[in-house]
Amino acid sequence: MLSVEALKIRYGEVEAVRRVDLTVGSGEIIALVGANGAGKSSTLGAVAGLVPAASGKVVFDGVDITGLAPEAIARKGVALVPEGRRIFASLTVADNLRLGGAVHQPAAEARLREEEMLELFPILRRYHRVKGGNLSGGEQQMLAIARALMGKPRMILLDEPSLGLAPQLIDTVFDLIAELRRKGLTILLVEQNVALALEIADRAVVLANGEVVLAGTAKELASSDLVRQAYLGA
Amino acid sequence: MIAQQIINAVSLGGVYALLALGLAIVFSIVGLINFAHGELMTLSGYALLASLVLGFPFPVAVLVAVSCGALAAVAMERIAFRPMRGASVTSLLLTSFAVSSLLKVVFQNGISARPQAVAMPGWMTGAFSFGDFTIGVGPSISIVVSALALIALEVFLRRSVTGTAMRAAAEDFDVVRLMGIPASRIIATAFLLSGLLAGLAAILWVAQRASVDPLMGFTPVLKAFIAAVVGGLGSLPGAVAGGFLLGIIEVLLQATLPGAIAPYRDAIVLSGVIAVLLVRPQGLIPAVRAQRS
Repeated sequence: MLSVEALKIRYGEVEAVRRVDLTVGSGEIIALVGANGAGKSSTLGAVAGLVPAASGKVVFDGVDITGLAPEAIARKGVALVPEGRRIFASLTVADNLRLGGAVHQPAAEARLREEEMLELFPILRRYHRVKGGNLSGGEQQMLAIARALMGKPRMILLDEPSLGLAPQLIDTVFDLIAELRRKGLTILLVEQNVALALEIADRAVVLANGEVVLAGTAKELASSDLVRQAYLGA
Repeated sequence: MIAQQIINAVSLGGVYALLALGLAIVFSIVGLINFAHGELMTLSGYALLASLVLGFPFPVAVLVAVSCGALAAVAMERIAFRPMRGASVTSLLLTSFAVSSLLKVVFQNGISARPQAVAMPGWMTGAFSFGDFTIGVGPSISIVVSALALIALEVFLRRSVTGTAMRAAAEDFDVVRLMGIPASRIIATAFLLSGLLAGLAAILWVAQRASVDPLMGFTPVLKAFIAAVVGGLGSLPGAVAGGFLLGIIEVLLQATLPGAIAPYRDAIVLSGVIAVLLVRPQGLIPAVRAQRS
């Protein structure tokens, strides 16, 4: 469904991503793991169109989307849940959701979709009229995911969904990710918590210094010496 | 006398508020302080003049003038600011100065450097009285129009999807684009609204002065800029509060200062502005910005 080919990203003189190749099949969860500054978020940013690629290609559903504007990529059915959630703090939960689904469907359908989201995230129904900025970190993460789902994406890019959350909330978020996959959503997950990411993912790609150093099924990686020593602390 | 002064104060404040709001809307979305905003106002003034000279009925002339302001603002964005998208704040600022100077010269050479009289309908310069109070029709209309415009804008920003997206874009533009909402639609709407507000302000301004000149927009927009800064640059409620505050203080000082001190009115007002900014550097009602680590 998605393939990233020889992606290179530069910020001025700094090469954040030297070369990343990866593919995500329909209905798969692929985890992109690695240390801070390995180029994970930049890669997601390039797929979503927020970060320009210096070279290489991003292909979604057979269409080259490299260099398209973020809004054009979103309309093709790719939704990014950005790092740090970035919900609209001054807007209510309802307005955050409304914007998420605004351009993807007629208004009546968007209302139905919102109802589905409120079923999936009961906490958001409780805080429907509350400003996003007043929610806790975990609630904001739920809102960020629900907002991305409002547009009925076919693929979702999750950037560090566990960051800054209490352990039991992390479990809730990951249960939710598993449920979204069961419903057929394709997921590219960036995560620093490697153990957790490998537990949920089908396959994983390990980045270091902007390059792919290892790729394989989640099981293979979980038992590889490199991953165990470098990321799982075993 | 006091009632008349209060009406004048609120009416001037309303015009400043409309202009400050136009500056704030554009600033909140694209981070540009549009110094050519005053020329939008001047252009609307000339459009009103031309429509009246051509014999259009007054309401039609008003409609033409306000539409001209709005369309000119959208055109300005397309021609001058869109090619500069992503440029530094300084480049944007210089671009807006360039557009402003260019338009002033066009008005001076293309029309006339001298003020042109605008034949406003007679009823606008009238007054009505209750008992001892005499209240001008012009300032009263100005207050009503400003209030209606503020309410309409508020409803638009709260209720419509585009309005909601604009509030969101003021906070985090990239994420709005991630929702699939086109950046150019948001930016064009911001300019359209700022042009509409400048057009309305132009009519209210001309209604009280009955003339148009190439530099007409300069002073009110400078005041509106001060109002927007005092209110909190990029904050829409702040712009409205700053506009009214500045208008009211100006008129009250004008009315109460003894003759010997009156020439220092602007100096006193600006000292007040400095005092406010010393205490509240982010303005009276600071803008909400996404806080990112």
